[in-house]
Parts: sequence; structure tokens; C-alpha cells
Amino acid sequence: MPSDAIRAALVRRLRISSAITDEDIAEIEALPISVRQFPAETAVVRDGERATDCCLIADGFCARSKTIASGKRQILSLHIPGEIPDLMSLFLHMMDHDLSTLTPATLGFISHETLQKLHRRRPFVAELFWRDTLIDSAMFREWIVNVGQRPAPARLAHVMIELRERLRIIGQLEGSSFEMPLTQEQVGEALGITSVHANRVIKQLREEGIVELHRGRVTVLDERKFLELADFDGRYLHQSPTL
Amino acid sequence: MPRFHFDVHENGQFFRDEDGQDFVNVDVARKEAVLTGTSIARDAFVAGSADHVVVDVRKDEHAPCLKVSITLDVEEQADGYVAKAE
Repeated sequence: MPSDAIRAALVRRLRISSAITDEDIAEIEALPISVRQFPAETAVVRDGERATDCCLIADGFCARSKTIASGKRQILSLHIPGEIPDLMSLFLHMMDHDLSTLTPATLGFISHETLQKLHRRRPFVAELFWRDTLIDSAMFREWIVNVGQRPAPARLAHVMIELRERLRIIGQLEGSSFEMPLTQEQVGEALGITSVHANRVIKQLREEGIVELHRGRVTVLDERKFLELADFDGRYLHQSPTL
Repeated sequence: MPRFHFDVHENGQFFRDEDGQDFVNVDVARKEAVLTGTSIARDAFVAGSADHVVVDVRKDEHAPCLKVSITLDVEEQADGYVAKAE
């Protein structure tokens, strides 16, 4: 993958969601990044590890999760190209959860030292990344509300619509279907239900003609019912500099 | 590890678990069945779409080895006091 393609989704996202200047874009495009390929369902950085760099997703999907003593895992967030899901490791030195791939992924690693130097040289870039981590926490708040308060079918619809809106920003939305590469078990881990219940919910949404999740792709069957079920208000994604 | 399947009955509807999952023993499978049943029942009971949820646990194609049954039972009490809506 050429180096421009590594940063393409990040640059696209920053251009849409912030008032970034061309000069700062040039700085980000010049960042030294070491690129590595990861297979699906592989740990990138584990709970308890010390990270020395931040990971930019160039291609593929990742998830953050936490596993409790009984072995049950809660998926905390899904991540797509252009995102730096462990940006907080720049200041929080020991990982308090896992970051792993869902699909085969191309990841770019930017050293903490490089990022710190960039932040000192270009304070506006530091502000942008700060804002990025704040949006990250806004997404976690919404995830808590979703898992804590909505019935399971609405939970799934909400996670799907959020993912769709984020894929739209990086230009990875074509036609009426989009990628959500989660197994039935992983859907359960994201929604806080068992794999069998997740399967039941997926079947129910298909039978009711609302949305279909098949082999990691979401196809919306009835947009109005889908939106109504999800009770989605995208303000918390702050996808424009004025939001 | 043995493979367990969790077939769900929700009132009249039946959902057969074709995939199944591996669990070390029937004790762990029982916990999974209770979690599945109560979580399905929570949504269905509140929505009013069912008042009885059963999870049959079977090993492979054998007859069920466990039946987890959850029933909603709400009784209106004739002599109870309910404030009238204003």
C-alpha cells in the first residue's frame, strides 16, 4: 500500500470533521509510519501492555474489548480505517483494555515520540487529536446508553447505523449495503447478550423486513423502520467542525 | 470439548440453533442457557410478545439434556390500591 493510501482515510476524516489547514495536513502526511499486516482476530495491543506507538487503521476493521475473570468479553467499540483507536496510549501508558483486529488489517504505527514532537510543533494538530479522543468518549457514552437501556433489536440497529455514518465519512459506503464484519458471537459480545440471543435478534430483524446481516454485510430492507427502531441521533459523532 | 445447541421456544415460535457452541461441560452450558433464556425473556416479556420462553439444550443431534423454562406471571390484585391517573 503506498504511503498516501495509509493516511488517506485519516486525512479525509480530518478534513470533514475539523477545520484543518493544508499545512497541518502536510505535516500529518509526512509522519513516519511503519506499516504491518495483521490477520483477522489478532491482538494488536493487549490489556496490561505498555504501548510505545499509536496505531492508525489503514485498511480493515478493529475492535476494543475487555475480558472479565469469567472469560466473558465485552466489545466496547468498533473501528474503521482512518481511526487511531489507541490514541489515548500517548498519555495513558498502560493499556486498560484490548485492541484487536476483526478482519485482516493493514495498520500503521506512529511512535509516541513522533506524535509528541508533532504536537509541540503544531498545537492545532494536538487540539485535533484531543478532539478526536473526546469524540471517542462521546461514542463510549452512547454505547453505554445503548447496551444499558435499549432492547436487543434496537441495540443492534443502533450499532449498525453508527457504523454506517462513520463509513460514510471515509467514503466507504456504496449502495444500500455496508460491511459489519462481526460473527454472531461478536455481535453478542458487542450487545451484551449471548451468541444464541444475538442469532435470534438477527433472524427477527430479517423476518420483520427491517435489516439483514449476512456474512459480515448489512443490507437495509426498510430504511424508515430501521431508523425508527434504532432511535439514532448522530449528534454525538460530531461529524462537522461546528458540532 | 462437547458441542451444545440451544433451541429456543418463544410462546409458539421455535428457533433451532444449527451452529452450536463448545463448552467444557454441561454445567457451563446450563449457565449459557439460563443467560440466553433470561435475556430473550427480558425483551419479550417487556414488549408483550411472549410470556413463556424455553431453552432446550442438546448435545449434537441427541434429544435435549436440559430444559430451561421461564414464565412470566403477573397478577392483578383485586383489593390493591392504584392511584387514579390525573
